Amino acid sequence: MSPQPQAAVGAPLSRVDGRLKVTGQALYAAEHDADGAVHAVIVDAAIGRGRITGVDTADAEKHRGVLRVIHHGNAPTLPYRDNSGSNNPPGRRLRVFQDDRVLFHGQPVAVVVATTLEAAQHGASLVKVGYDAQEPSTDLAEAEPGKPTDYARGDAEAGLRSSAVRLDVTYQLARNHHNPMEPHATIARWDGNRLTVWDKTQWVMGTHDELAAVFDLPADAVRVINPFVGGGFGSGLRCWPHTTVAALAARETGRPVKLVLSRRQMYFGTGFRPSYEYRLRLGSDRRGRLSAAIHDIDAETSSYETFTEAVMGAGQMLYSMPHVSQAYRTVPLDVNTPIWMRGPGFASASFVIESAMDELAHELGIDPIELRRRNEPSEDESSNLPFSTRRLRECCTVGAREFGWHRRSPKPRSTRDGDWLIGLGMAAGVYDPGRYPGDARARLDADGTAVVEAATSDMGPGTYTSQTQVAADALGLNMRTVTFRLGDSLYPRTSPHGGSSTMASVGTAVVDACNQVRQQAIRLAVEDRESPLYGVDTDEVVVRSGRLHVQGNPARGETYRSLLARNNRSHLEANGSYTGPPSPARHSYHAYNATFAEVAVDATLGLVRVRRMLGVYDAGRIISPKLADSQAIGGIVGGIGTALLEHTVTDHRDGRIVNANLADYLVPVNADVPEVRAIYLDGEDNDGNALGVKGLGEVVQVGVAAAIGNAVFNATGRRVRQLPITAEALL
Amino acid sequence: MYPFAYTRVSDTREALNAGRRGGRYIAGGTTLVDLMREAVERPETLVDITGLPLGEITVTERGGLRIGALVTMSEAAAHAKVRTLYPVVSEALELSASAQLRNMATIGGNIMQRTRCTYFRDVTADCNKREPGSGCAALHGHNRTHAILGTSDACVATHPSDAAVAFAALEARVHLLGPDGARQVPFVDFLLRPGSTPQREQALRQGELIAAVEIPALPRPLRSGYLKVRDRQSYEFALTSAAVALHVRGGVIRQAKIAAGGVGTVPWKLPAVEQHLVGERPSQALWSAAAAKAADGARPLQHNRFKVELLKRTVERQLRVVGGTK
Repeated sequence: MSPQPQAAVGAPLSRVDGRLKVTGQALYAAEHDADGAVHAVIVDAAIGRGRITGVDTADAEKHRGVLRVIHHGNAPTLPYRDNSGSNNPPGRRLRVFQDDRVLFHGQPVAVVVATTLEAAQHGASLVKVGYDAQEPSTDLAEAEPGKPTDYARGDAEAGLRSSAVRLDVTYQLARNHHNPMEPHATIARWDGNRLTVWDKTQWVMGTHDELAAVFDLPADAVRVINPFVGGGFGSGLRCWPHTTVAALAARETGRPVKLVLSRRQMYFGTGFRPSYEYRLRLGSDRRGRLSAAIHDIDAETSSYETFTEAVMGAGQMLYSMPHVSQAYRTVPLDVNTPIWMRGPGFASASFVIESAMDELAHELGIDPIELRRRNEPSEDESSNLPFSTRRLRECCTVGAREFGWHRRSPKPRSTRDGDWLIGLGMAAGVYDPGRYPGDARARLDADGTAVVEAATSDMGPGTYTSQTQVAADALGLNMRTVTFRLGDSLYPRTSPHGGSSTMASVGTAVVDACNQVRQQAIRLAVEDRESPLYGVDTDEVVVRSGRLHVQGNPARGETYRSLLARNNRSHLEANGSYTGPPSPARHSYHAYNATFAEVAVDATLGLVRVRRMLGVYDAGRIISPKLADSQAIGGIVGGIGTALLEHTVTDHRDGRIVNANLADYLVPVNADVPEVRAIYLDGEDNDGNALGVKGLGEVVQVGVAAAIGNAVFNATGRRVRQLPITAEALL
Repeated sequence: MYPFAYTRVSDTREALNAGRRGGRYIAGGTTLVDLMREAVERPETLVDITGLPLGEITVTERGGLRIGALVTMSEAAAHAKVRTLYPVVSEALELSASAQLRNMATIGGNIMQRTRCTYFRDVTADCNKREPGSGCAALHGHNRTHAILGTSDACVATHPSDAAVAFAALEARVHLLGPDGARQVPFVDFLLRPGSTPQREQALRQGELIAAVEIPALPRPLRSGYLKVRDRQSYEFALTSAAVALHVRGGVIRQAKIAAGGVGTVPWKLPAVEQHLVGERPSQALWSAAAAKAADGARPLQHNRFKVELLKRTVERQLRVVGGTK
């Protein structure tokens, strides 16, 4: 098979769906037109733990427009079949309206269905719920952790004892919420026993499987549709209880039901990045060579499910050292279940590890970049596998040069600009990108256009655009003649759209499907006596702009259109697949970055302002440079939020989230986002995917908070071990 | 949202009649509608006063400024007289909210806006301001952004307005129209400390309507400015703020008008700081010594202890910015 010329891949193209989005034609979950849809509003539990003693729906039911109030006292029993293979963590998932127990503040306890949104909202406020309240346990620092997940190599305790230099630091990381612009929303419609759902999700198949399990429906009786996602950051990786509530309400009322979570409800109706208390002990020699690390990691989870994430990975392989031990304990609390949020696990761990490395560098008087160089491993010491590619050192070198690292004074508090103390900081980042099996379908029509489909999603990285680029090159078509479709459970099954897995996984399946279609066309041509390509070796034929020709001889060939017309073929079609990475693994496959920050800290008022940031990425091949920049900027903005602003605050007396709105839960605004620059090391990583990619969307947020925290230290001499870093820590 | 009646009025008499019958005045609606959506506010009748002739900024006979209640925040901030005579007012307005909100919100509504206390805004939480007698969830709850001055056991919520801090500093007066005629109230008396009745926030009688805020004439030259300290750079309420106006003649401070925001249950006038400055020559030492009195009487809570020190530093910084360090 001759290699196809690359025209679209690597080009800095604008989003193919950009016009739809800026003209309002892109329909989000709540915007789909379901004839006769009525509105549902959830009533949230006003206690943090306990039992419901009564639900008085009389006033609500009397309110004009209210059709039905459903709660545990009148809801039908739902099958809630087991749904293995889903993103439901181990445990017993929350079953809506199935009993009188309240497991967390804000849990759905009733739903009001009405003919208008206003009537449903007001009706919800009229439902009186009686409670037998118990004191909830929501404080990570106070509660008992569960059994740890352990990792060990060498003898970390002994290694630490014999280290010349020891560091013992504990970091606290606040809970963060994703806060995508688009609220979570569901429209559910039943046609007999068939259920159609428009749902905000990063995984239509996940919602599909969960609804089939909850209602015990055959797989083909459920269809989930979600062509556009207004931001996700991980919050759409799981089918949440409100989706079931919408489907239940639709079944009970016999009407299509639209249910949109309020911004407030998104703080307990969907998951969050869990808070952590993370103690790290590091031992090194006087030259900064690490010998041992002991990680004691506590993270919150709910009382009913054990959520874990990849918080142990970075500590096992980012730096070379003989002795490592880790204990990762989840702490069950009376909260709803967390979920992955951008850079899951790695972003949290890297804040701790990279801050501690900065502390060690300062302690030893070694430049932070030099310290990382001295601990560069030659293989992945957690698996003893060679790296597929690892260019962290190059990220650091390029970043140092481009950021002006040489201008950084190693002495804290030595650079001033008026009232502001100026500091520079850096951190390394690593992420373990996902590669999961999945399918795609490609179809070339007689008019020379193609449609490619997969049940993936586009939460913002630009899946529509990048998959079109990949498909266009594999088919030998121009971008505008290829349509990529996603977000429908009728399309070929894919894995969740998350974990930086989509291009490697779905992209590989798309390439496979498109290659097959192109090969079908080539075979058709070379076997067709009337084709100019008759008799040519299939390996000698390439396709460009919809025209097949002999490689090196563009004059000899013909178009897809003429080929299909002459052969009376309405279309050519193929299913492609990706079977996942090599098993057993041959390489350690990770994406890396070096992130640099310059901050200004008001010397007396304690305010931190980021002045500029740079990320240098070893992410394999960059399919779509313009979209990549959007990813990098977004990840850095997210990291600024985690570092300086974002903090979901729980009132431990009753488990209430006190800042469940965007005025009090602070995310960066434009004024907080300075000059941001991204550089991608040119290259590719061919470990088990056709495209040479490593995934970018997650790694861009890893290390950002540490780089900022390290810059704050360089500016002020204050080491703040609590996120977010706010004025009170710096006064 | 609870059902309500809505009526538009075209003259003041009509408005006052509607107000006397219990109607709630609404202009820009940027606070009230928000709170109605959250069921925190449940007015039975809204009286839309945007048609009233209260949208002018005029120079008073004595040389002060009278800002009509219906002047929008953005209009007031951009007004040439406000900018040149009282930069502290312009700055306070421009550091508030967002451009979109400032285009809708009025001066009258701004000083009437209700607290950002998250327990007040959450109808399932105890709040004496919203539901007298229910208790104050903030007192022993999460209270990082709450008040350290002027609090009571019944309420520790801050007044959120920046402009009100500038008005308090400049000793503005509130012009009111009521069923019994017009009257004026000094700004510092207009907004009430919570005491045991935190539900009463303004010294307004039934049906009274704000006509204007009048800033008195102050001796020239007057240097003034507003500093707002907050976690993010824009679109957030103040952790602390300082409105400072100084009249310096012959190298001596003759008058000092100073108030703080983000720290009090009402905009917090700082007479002790003012008195410390008057008759003295500007110097860094003077700013420090005066600002040291800024938090006198503070009663910090569990999570806002830092505001005591931050307030002093905020006042000191703004004294230096406005008064220089000569």
